[in-house]
Amino acid sequence: MKWLGLAAAAMAALALAVALGPTHVPLGALPTSDIVRTLRLPRAVLAFGVGGSLALAGAGLQALVRNPLADPYLLGLSGGAGLGAVLGIALHLASPWALPLAAFGGGLAAMALVYRLALLGGGALDPRVLILAGVAVGAFAAAVTTAVVSLSEPAELRNALLWLWGGLSGASWDTVLVFCAYAPLPAAVLLAAARPLDLLALGEEPARHLGVEVEPWKRRVYFAASLLTAAAVAVSGVIGFVGLVVPHAMRALWGHRHRPLLPAAFLAGGTLLVLADTVARVAVAPRELPVGIVTALVGVPVFALLLRRWTAG
Amino acid sequence: MALARRARPRSPISVPSGVGVLVMRGSAQRTHLAVLVATLALACRAGSRPAPGGGLRVVDDAGRTVALAGPARRIVSLSPAITELVFALGAGERLVGRTTWCDYPPAARAVPSVGDGLNPSVEAVAARRPDLVVLYRSTLDAAAARAFERLGIPAIVLRQDRLADLARAAALLGRLTGRARAGDSLAAALAAVGARPGPPLGVRLAFVTWDNPPVVIGGGSYLDELAALAGATNVFHDLPAASAAVGLETLAARDPDVIAVLGDSGAAELPPFARRPEWQAIRAVRARRFVVLPGSLFGRPSPRAALAAAELRRLLAAVPR
Repeated sequence: MKWLGLAAAAMAALALAVALGPTHVPLGALPTSDIVRTLRLPRAVLAFGVGGSLALAGAGLQALVRNPLADPYLLGLSGGAGLGAVLGIALHLASPWALPLAAFGGGLAAMALVYRLALLGGGALDPRVLILAGVAVGAFAAAVTTAVVSLSEPAELRNALLWLWGGLSGASWDTVLVFCAYAPLPAAVLLAAARPLDLLALGEEPARHLGVEVEPWKRRVYFAASLLTAAAVAVSGVIGFVGLVVPHAMRALWGHRHRPLLPAAFLAGGTLLVLADTVARVAVAPRELPVGIVTALVGVPVFALLLRRWTAG
Repeated sequence: MALARRARPRSPISVPSGVGVLVMRGSAQRTHLAVLVATLALACRAGSRPAPGGGLRVVDDAGRTVALAGPARRIVSLSPAITELVFALGAGERLVGRTTWCDYPPAARAVPSVGDGLNPSVEAVAARRPDLVVLYRSTLDAAAARAFERLGIPAIVLRQDRLADLARAAALLGRLTGRARAGDSLAAALAAVGARPGPPLGVRLAFVTWDNPPVVIGGGSYLDELAALAGATNVFHDLPAASAAVGLETLAARDPDVIAVLGDSGAAELPPFARRPEWQAIRAVRARRFVVLPGSLFGRPSPRAALAAAELRRLLAAVPR
């Protein structure tokens, strides 16, 4: 029943995203409209993929570091990706794919650095060190980003900031294809990690006694979540709150078992971002809001409600 | 005082006949009266009034009153538009500092740069020992203007977003440099340019300044004014902001004939977004109807507005329809 509701919500969100837009397209003309085919449909599909990936990555990371605050950006990825993108803009890289690739590269560089720092204590990946390293690398990348932005031309500065707030304006079937080329593998790894993540929640020692290969699984989850986030950032900028709020909301509905939680987070994250992007496109038409602002405006009150429920329970 | 005396012989203001009678009485009195009249005339014009100890007071675009002992001799300009204006007033040799973006006229490059202009280094500017600093009006610059004030360096903050701002700035800077007549005539010329839209060209254009997210120029901007002067229509004229992020769908629906982008001088190639698949939803992109506007002429309000409008008209007319 819950699954049916979630699937229906996803379908309704996608339908809304295709039907609504700043320009009026009559319902009958929707299937043949150029605007729907080249703009609205790829954008809705991409929003679904990105939102789902962020929520999935967030759910995985929260379980990995056993910290409810974890989200795909906590581990320095957004900082690294932002720095990559801003460097791309500052260096006037002209190719249409330069910005996404620079962001992807920056995100991966941050991931490698955080991973290396987290291993400093020895061979084991310590979740607490992972968080600290992520925060430190993220802060460092943000500082360098601000330095680059403050030294570049004022117009570029504004544009770099706009990009950092996230948006799906660059969506096309090409972007969808690129995203689909590298998102499924890390997503599949995360979905396969459902049982090890359940056991990891008991603590590393108990998980080891129950037969989980703790270290390899932690690494797999970490790399898969990072790759998924980097892919999302590359096509959409930094979209906050989806990866933080959606996994918590789904835990409230599905409980803590990852077998149902992970796919539910994917569906709900996709639905939420499709809706948020529709609001971003329509609310202040003909202007457009950065979608990250909409997810924050929706996400923070929802989060506050959840907090109230937990503290009351 | 020195400023007023300097301005007097060229002053375009006719002396009322009643005053003329008095003026005949003696040369000393005549000078004083003429100075008084000229100063009063200035006071009536641009919010300036005589300072008690001589010199000049002006009220800038931030509402601050700034006093100068005499015409500015060492000016630091913290925006490219002001640098152009100072040269256009014939006071270019008095510039002792400029921004890294000041590239016109070519002689401006010989002036030492003090940095970016916005949120300037007060120390770097003060090191040029200026007797007048001109800043762009923005939140970032308000603190810097106060810092100059504390250092005893007169600093004025001028709006430079539209043609009318530039005309006002020309008149004000004319007075502050002792070239009131040049300033007034430049201001009048700029106002005249702004009052004369070109004959309709029948071209609807959109200025696209960024591609992801798409950012376009709205009605409250200099480029929108230039479009009107060139006889063209900005399809986003109804947006009150100077620029705004819009959806590609909106851009496709507004369906401009031509897309104008700012570029480096001489670069005639298409912007990178012209090849992106999602931009093909826009007719002008599919038809590759772009004009590339050199940034140094179009990127800021400039005394060369008439030239810029003519150039835009020429470029638009040359686009195959």
